[in-house]
Parts: sequence; structure tokens; C-alpha cells
Amino acid sequence: MATPAQLGLQNATSPIMEELIAFHDHALMIIFLISSLVLYIMSLMLTTKLTHTSTMNAQEIEMIWTILPAIILIMIALPSLRILYMTDEFIKPYLTLKAIGHQWYWSYEYSDYEDLAFDSYIMPTYFLEPGEFRLLEVDNRTTLPMEADIRMLVSSHDVLHSWAVPSLGVKTDAIPGRLNQITLASMRPGLFYGQCSEICGSNHSFMPIVLEFIYFQDFEVWAS
Amino acid sequence: PFKLLGILDIENIPCARDSVLYGSLGSVVAGFGHFLFTSRIRRSCDVGVGGFILVTLGCWFHCRYNYAKQKIQQRITRQGMKNKLLYEGTHLDPERKQNNRNSSN
Repeated sequence: MATPAQLGLQNATSPIMEELIAFHDHALMIIFLISSLVLYIMSLMLTTKLTHTSTMNAQEIEMIWTILPAIILIMIALPSLRILYMTDEFIKPYLTLKAIGHQWYWSYEYSDYEDLAFDSYIMPTYFLEPGEFRLLEVDNRTTLPMEADIRMLVSSHDVLHSWAVPSLGVKTDAIPGRLNQITLASMRPGLFYGQCSEICGSNHSFMPIVLEFIYFQDFEVWAS
Repeated sequence: PFKLLGILDIENIPCARDSVLYGSLGSVVAGFGHFLFTSRIRRSCDVGVGGFILVTLGCWFHCRYNYAKQKIQQRITRQGMKNKLLYEGTHLDPERKQNNRNSSN
């Protein structure tokens, strides 16, 4: 989960999120270098005594500042597209989980198991135990096995919601009448927090998501 | 965390600190070298900034490529260690299959 005043990305839990963090670092370095160049050029413009009021054409500089940005954009686009296609890779999921958005809670259905479905409401502040997180804890956590490919089907019962878990690199819109599919995979056990990411009414900020990834054997025991 | 220009977290991003340091060194070498040969101050500053960008970018790509290779090797090693623990002594142990093949030859 995020720490107070955190600006950067959370630590990666899934391989896709690791790739996204690497891409973010790559894009940030390019942005930093471009910003340095622009700051330098601004300082040059402020300190020059030269003026040239009759520029008619400047073929060379026009070539440079057309081709160079095109190269930069290609350098950014290629890794970006690689990750995009990686998220769409066909996988054979171990488990399918449906997450349905309601105003203002999430409900989860494990269709592979009989009678395994529950609602997940926010834990009110006055019910929190010491050490639990305000506005992030829920009454029923979504338990999943780690190191397994999980197919998530996200939809909504009423208005638009969005099922997001930043440390897994997942954000999927929950649209009424539509099923959106995404693949989850966690490399480690633990609790991973997320919040609804599409404005859905007065309690939009109060419908968090908590995923609890546990070992396979423990998951089988829990599911049964 | 300290961020260069308020955006680049050089403490926590792998390879960022090394790239910026090598870039600064390259910038000083290129700019100062150009000045020594031409005595043109403004043009030397331009060369210095250009050198900074090119050297930083070059170090960045080189370091990130090696970092990615290292991470993949770490992942393979970790999986190999886990598999060895799981399968050692069982009929799925690849070392056992190898030994059987050698002894039959």
C-alpha cells in the first residue's frame, strides 16, 4: 500500500508491474534529459545579446527538431507497446474471479467453487484494530493463491466503477453490462490494497479492495 | 528522497545515479576539452550540455540492459533453486535422469 505523502509507484508484486516500473524509470530519464536541455536553452536565450529579426528559413534546425523528437517518441513507444502486448498474452488461468462493483462495495464470486461469493465492504474507522489502515481495510478480504495466473472478470451492477490494485499494476473499468478481463499474478504472499478508481457517487472513496495472496495449499483449505 | 529537478529519484532508481555521475563527468571533459582547443566559451558550454545528454543516455541504456539481464538470471536461479528443493530425490529430479542416462551408456 502507499505510505503517507508517497508520490512514486508502489513496490511491484506482479511481473507486469515490474516491467511498468522499469518503463516508468526509462521515460523519466528521457523527460529529465529533455527538461535539462530546455532549461539550458532558456538560460541561453536570457543571456544572449544576439538578435535576428529577419529569419526567412532555417532548414537545418527544422530538420533537427523534427527528427530528434520522432526518434525520442520511437524510443518511448517501443517499450510501451511491448508491455501493452505482454498484458494481452494468452494464459491458462488457474482460477477465475468475478469482481462486481456496486454502490458502494465490491462483490466477489469464485465461479470455480460452489457457493463461494461474498461482499466486501469498507471497515468503518471505529471498528479498526490497532495497526489497521483507515479507509483501506475491508470486512471480507479477497483471498487468492500466489504464483498462479488468475483471470479477473470485472463488471458493475449499477454505475461505472474501476477495480484498481496499484502494486499489481491493475486498473480495470467496471462497466454495467460489460465484462472486462484482466490477468493477475502475484510473486509473493501478503496483503495488497487498492481503491475504486472511477467516480461513482458520494462514497466513491469508501469502497476499497484488499487482496490477500496466500500459499496454494492454504488457499485450497480456505476455498473448501 | 532527493529528486534531481524535482522528478528524478536518483537514490532509488537503479542505474540513475551512475548515469548522471558519468554524464556529469562526460560533460566536464567534453566542454573543457572543447574550450582548451577553441577558447570559445558559449560553444564549449553547448558541447558540455550535449555531452552530458549523450553520455547519460549511453550509460543509462548500457546499465539498464545489464540490470535487466541480471534480473532474468536471478529469476532463473531462484526458480532453479526452488525446483531442486522440490524435486531432489524424486522421480522428477532431472539430475537423477541424467545419472541414469550416463550409467545406461
